[in-house]
Amino acid sequence: MPGRFLEAEEAVAEFVPSGATIAVGGMHMTAAPMALVTAMVRSGVRTGTLVTSPSASLQAELPVAAGLVDEIMSPYVGFEDLGLAPRFRKAVESGELRVVEIDEGSLTHALYAGAGGIPFLACPPGVDLTDIPRVSPELFRRVRNPFTGDEGWAIAGLRPDVTLLAAAEADEDGNVALGRFPFTDRLMALAARRLVVQVERTVDSGAMAARAPGDTIPGFLVSAVVVAPGGCLPTSYPGFYDRDEGAIRTYLKAARAPETLEAWLADLTGADPARGAEDS
Amino acid sequence: MTGAFSTSELMAVVMAREFRDGEVVVMGAVPALPLAAAMLAKSTHAPSLSYIVGGSGTVNATPIGLTTLSCDAALAPAPSALPLPEVVLLEGRGDALDVFCAGGLQIDAYGNCNLIAVGEWAAPALRGPGTVGLPFLPATKRSVIYAMDHSPRTFVERVDFVSGPGHPASPDEDRTYRGEGPSLVVTPLATLDFDPTTRRMRLRSVHPGVTEAEVAEATGFEPAPGPPVSETPPPSEEELTLLRRLDPGGLLSG
Repeated sequence: MPGRFLEAEEAVAEFVPSGATIAVGGMHMTAAPMALVTAMVRSGVRTGTLVTSPSASLQAELPVAAGLVDEIMSPYVGFEDLGLAPRFRKAVESGELRVVEIDEGSLTHALYAGAGGIPFLACPPGVDLTDIPRVSPELFRRVRNPFTGDEGWAIAGLRPDVTLLAAAEADEDGNVALGRFPFTDRLMALAARRLVVQVERTVDSGAMAARAPGDTIPGFLVSAVVVAPGGCLPTSYPGFYDRDEGAIRTYLKAARAPETLEAWLADLTGADPARGAEDS
Repeated sequence: MTGAFSTSELMAVVMAREFRDGEVVVMGAVPALPLAAAMLAKSTHAPSLSYIVGGSGTVNATPIGLTTLSCDAALAPAPSALPLPEVVLLEGRGDALDVFCAGGLQIDAYGNCNLIAVGEWAAPALRGPGTVGLPFLPATKRSVIYAMDHSPRTFVERVDFVSGPGHPASPDEDRTYRGEGPSLVVTPLATLDFDPTTRRMRLRSVHPGVTEAEVAEATGFEPAPGPPVSETPPPSEEELTLLRRLDPGGLLSG
C-alpha cells in the first residue's frame, strides 16, 4: 500500500513502537530526520536499539539525551567540527547506554544483507585487525570461506523495525525523492520493515518521473510521509538550507549541565503547538 | 623568502607533498586539512590526483573555499560522486584507493588508531565518537595519519582499542596486509614515519621553531631511532599562495 501523509506525531504513534530497533538516516549534520526524531522524543517513545547511518549527530544525540535509548549501534556519534556528542559520551561512560560496536563498512554490508534477505555477509579485510568483532559477538561470527578454507568474520544481516529518513520531495502516491547526497539512506530504507519519511515539499508525480533511477524510493516501501519543511534543522538539507550552527552550539552548551539540558529539552518538546492540540 | 604561515598551513603542505600524482586519496570527517592538501597537490605536483571526501562520496569536489564538513552542500559541484555504499565497496576492494587519511583520540607507536574508547571498552574513561571507516586502513595502499594534538595523551605506546589498524607490533603477529600500512604521521610539532624493519614510529622532521626535546616530551612512547632529524621544509611561496587561494576564509591560517 502506498505511503500515507501523516503528521509527525501520528506517524510515530502508528509506526514506531516502543522498544523497537529504529534506524535514523542522514549523515553527520546533514539530512538528519529531526522532525521525526523530535516527535519520537515528544511522544516519549523508547528505542530498543537505535541504529544510525555511518555517522550521526543530533538524530542520535537527542533521543539519548532524553534518556529514551537502551542500546545504540552506530559507527560514529558526534558533531564533526563542533566536537564530541556530550550526552552520548556521558551515557556510555556512565554505563546507562549500551553500545553495539560497529564500523561503517560492516554496517553498510549488514544493511545490504538485510535489504536482500541475505542472512550474513563475509566481511572485507580490515575489521579483522580491529578489536570491534571481539566486543560485538552478536554481530560478528567466525566463518570459513567455502572456496578457499580461509577463516574470517561474518557480519549478520540487519533489518530495522522502522527506518526514519529525511528526503527532498514526495508525490501524492508517496514516492519520495532523496537529496543530493544519498549516504546510506537508500539501504536503510530497503532493509527496514517499515519506513517513515519526512520531506521538504510535495510535488506532482510528473515531476518525479524526471528523476534518475536510484534517486527515488517507491511509495510501496513507504509507510508514511510527513511533510516537514525545514524538518532537518538544525542539521542541513543540501539544496534547501545549511545547518544552523548557532542552534547546534546552543544545544552543545545546554548539554553541559543537567539543569540546562532539561530546560533545552522542555523547550523542544513543549514548543510544539501540535502537541497541545493532541493533548486537548 | 617565505612569509609567516600557520601550523595548519604547514601541515597541509606536508600532507600535499606526500600525495603522489595519479593516486586516489580518501578522507573522512572534518576534512579541511586533507582536503586542502589534496587540492594543493592537484594544483602543483599531482595534477592527476583524485580525492574522495567522506560521506559525500564526491570525487574531486572543488568547493569555493575549504569546508570542515564532510557532507557539506559546498562539495556538491564535483565532476563525479559515488553513493556512500559504493565508497565502502571500493574501500574493501582496496586496490582502487591509494591513501587513507586517518586520525585518532589515541595513536600508538605502530600507527594503530583509536577513535572508540580510552580505557576499558565496556566502561570507558573517554568514549570516542566511533571509528567510521578506519578499519579499512590496511585494505588501502597506505595511510597518512594526522593529529591536531601532539601530547602523551594522544601518542601512546599502545592504543586501548584498535579501531584503525596500523603496523603489526612484532613480526610474530599474524596480520595480512594488502597495503603498506601507515607511511607518515603529521602533527602540529613534527612529522614522523616508521622504521622499515621494526615498523615502529620514528621522528622524521621537526617543524620550524620546535626542538627534538619538545617532541620527545610530547610523545608518550620512545620513538625508534632513525636517520638524523631534519627541519620540516616550510611552505614555498608558491605553495602558500595556492593554499590561501583555496582557503579564502582562512580556515587554516587562523
